[in-house]
Amino acid sequence: MKKFMILLLALAMSTFIFTGCGDSNRNTSQTEDSASDETADAAEEEPAADAESEESEAAEEESAAVDLSILYEEDDSMINNYSLLAVNPDAPFVDANGESVSDVAINTAGAKALTDWMLSEEAKTAAADFGFEEYGEHLFYVIEDGPSSEAEIPVATDETKNIRMSTTTSVNDSGLLTYLIPMFEEAYGYTVEIFSAGTGKAIANAEFGNADLIMVHSESQEKEFVDAGFSMVLDGYESERLTFLYNYFVLCGPSSDPAEVASAPSVLDAFKLIADGKYPFVSRGDESGTHTMEVSLWPEDLGITTDAASVEDYTDWYVFSNAGMGTCLTMAEEKGAYILSDKATFLTFKENNGVME
Amino acid sequence: MKTCSFTKTYGSHTVLQAPAMELSPGRIYAVIGANGSGKSTLVKILSGLLASDEKQAPFKEKPLCIGHLPQKPYAFRLNTLNNVLLGAAKMDTAAAKEKALDLLTKLGIETLASKSAQRLSGGETARMALARSMMQDYDLFILDEPTASLDVQSTILAENQILSYRKETGAAILLITHSLKQARRLADEVWYLQNGQIIETGTSEQVLYSPADARTRQFLEFYSL
Amino acid sequence: MRTAFFQAIELVFSGNRQLINIIQVTMRMSLSSSLVALLLGVPLGALLGTISWKGKGILVIINRTLMGLPPVVCGLICYLLFSGVGPLRHLGLLFTVEGMIIAQVILLTPLIIGNMESHVSDISPAIRETAKGLRLSTAKTVLLLMNESQYQIFASYLLGLGRSLAEVGAVSMVGGAIAFKTNVMSTAIMNYTNMGNFTIALALGIILLVIALVLNIITALIQWRLRR
Repeated sequence: MKKFMILLLALAMSTFIFTGCGDSNRNTSQTEDSASDETADAAEEEPAADAESEESEAAEEESAAVDLSILYEEDDSMINNYSLLAVNPDAPFVDANGESVSDVAINTAGAKALTDWMLSEEAKTAAADFGFEEYGEHLFYVIEDGPSSEAEIPVATDETKNIRMSTTTSVNDSGLLTYLIPMFEEAYGYTVEIFSAGTGKAIANAEFGNADLIMVHSESQEKEFVDAGFSMVLDGYESERLTFLYNYFVLCGPSSDPAEVASAPSVLDAFKLIADGKYPFVSRGDESGTHTMEVSLWPEDLGITTDAASVEDYTDWYVFSNAGMGTCLTMAEEKGAYILSDKATFLTFKENNGVME
Repeated sequence: MKTCSFTKTYGSHTVLQAPAMELSPGRIYAVIGANGSGKSTLVKILSGLLASDEKQAPFKEKPLCIGHLPQKPYAFRLNTLNNVLLGAAKMDTAAAKEKALDLLTKLGIETLASKSAQRLSGGETARMALARSMMQDYDLFILDEPTASLDVQSTILAENQILSYRKETGAAILLITHSLKQARRLADEVWYLQNGQIIETGTSEQVLYSPADARTRQFLEFYSL
Repeated sequence: MRTAFFQAIELVFSGNRQLINIIQVTMRMSLSSSLVALLLGVPLGALLGTISWKGKGILVIINRTLMGLPPVVCGLICYLLFSGVGPLRHLGLLFTVEGMIIAQVILLTPLIIGNMESHVSDISPAIRETAKGLRLSTAKTVLLLMNESQYQIFASYLLGLGRSLAEVGAVSMVGGAIAFKTNVMSTAIMNYTNMGNFTIALALGIILLVIALVLNIITALIQWRLRR
């Protein structure tokens, strides 16, 4: 009997010992990278056929590389704009029953600090430089006449310290935030909690009062957010939607390009070629920014929308996957399918031979 | 100690119909009868384990200190001595320990005092349970087939202990037994139960040797006394 | 698979700060939630096992239904409760380890109650009969019952711990898998899988299994010493 009590007590104590450590160990967040580059991962890739020049260095190191290649890009209808929106503390929040809630805690000061910083010269330069060394290409471009800030950024206080940012998986997976945010945190002492999910869920999270600002890239959904009163204009800016970065979506597919989209005159023609030939295509299917862009590029008579029911008749070639960018790219690689992706994520995917960081 | 009459029914089957009875302190009552005749049910109601249909206390006087040694006593996950000590109620620890060891010795199992009680054999468990029950002084002590699993030697030890207990505490003792010889040895009065009814009661000479009821006689035929 | 195994070893020895934090948060969450569930579930389950009135059957059915509560549903309910607009928002539990512990306790306690109830229902009648025959107090009877159930209690703890480590639906919703704060092994594995990085996901999975194995060995040794 006594033995039993002692053992139970020991178990309880060990729990509380563990409770002590754990939380604030975040200096520079190292991602788990070094391991994957060294081991040859032969499981998921097809052998490289004719790789484009920028992929050749990857092909030399490994015996296998990703076959998916960029086939169409730099069409102005494929621009992907990223915006910051601060959440309005007086927004018409409703709880799960639909009743309105008034005293929702939103850290507007923190949101402003982060916004001011991200729109500063320093941050914009860093964002533009992101990935250039590694991939030899810019992953993000700064909008030239976009909103900017020279405001002085206050140091964090106990009340304003915790900033909750809701963003999409595409943004998170590109690695931009992991690169930028620590600079901000170290300089001013804030802690930024990043919640990443599909665009719909990320915005819903903010509408439930769980974020102080959001960073998304879906114009229509951003406008809905603003129209519903969930955003606000921060001091020193003119609009709720602070669109400051952009990059391109790219149409990718197997390097053999059976649909011959590479030689299409416009991206809309490219999509028509794929649809007419019923070549396999992987869609995000999750109402994300990428998904919204993609459905706008199909020929109208197909009636493809973000709704799953609209593609019921095309399931022999159109895959409505409802998954994140990395998973979809892996799927496209395996099926030899076409796919619309943002360039940053694709390059990261390709560079790591189908292994995302 | 007077009881009220009571019955016990399960569903549509009346298991027991007991009239009002009287038990005198210091007397040993043996309850005999075939399996399923309601003996255990009777004593369980008397000891308070089961509720009668009438939902009333079976004894007219309260409070009555009743001890009950069940047919299959539970050996707790302790050593034998500690199991026995469980019965010690409000005794002083040293005195309790002394009494416990004394009882164990009188029942021939003192060498098992530090052995895990759940590892005892059937006969050893029965004796441990008997010692455990006898740590306290009851007004009414009910024993349900206490020597069923004991060999002859151990039975003698146990029976002597029951008689000692009666002498020392003056309790009334209700003993369920399948052994008519045991009934003859120990009991002052015998109750014969059949199909939930008390067919006959009387002194052991009366019931065992010259039963009044034909059914009792029929039951006794199987035993050569 | 082989590469995942080697990667797992490399990861462990790389001293990667993120990995260390993930393991710490996981341990803190799992040990706490299974312990709290044990402290709640054992008395309730034992109580349920000892009662014999008509209401017992209904309570057992209710508990069994709760055992089948899908973790993601539990996570969703907690998310709505702790949300910035939810009724419990002032507790500040969303996206915290404490919130995750609460969600897990809701999931684990019915399991432990069920475990204890079936065990106690088995032994309770015999114990009660003997204890009443010895005129033991209710308190003493309960203590004896607990003593009889040692093995079962440890088994229940292990059950809770195992489920807690593997669970991902509830903790991802309530915790948000925030890096360096509420990211645990299971959510990290899920995130890497969603990113398409299956190798790292498998490697983390292997590490998780090894941790679970070590915990199980320790508890089994304790159980062995208590020896049924």
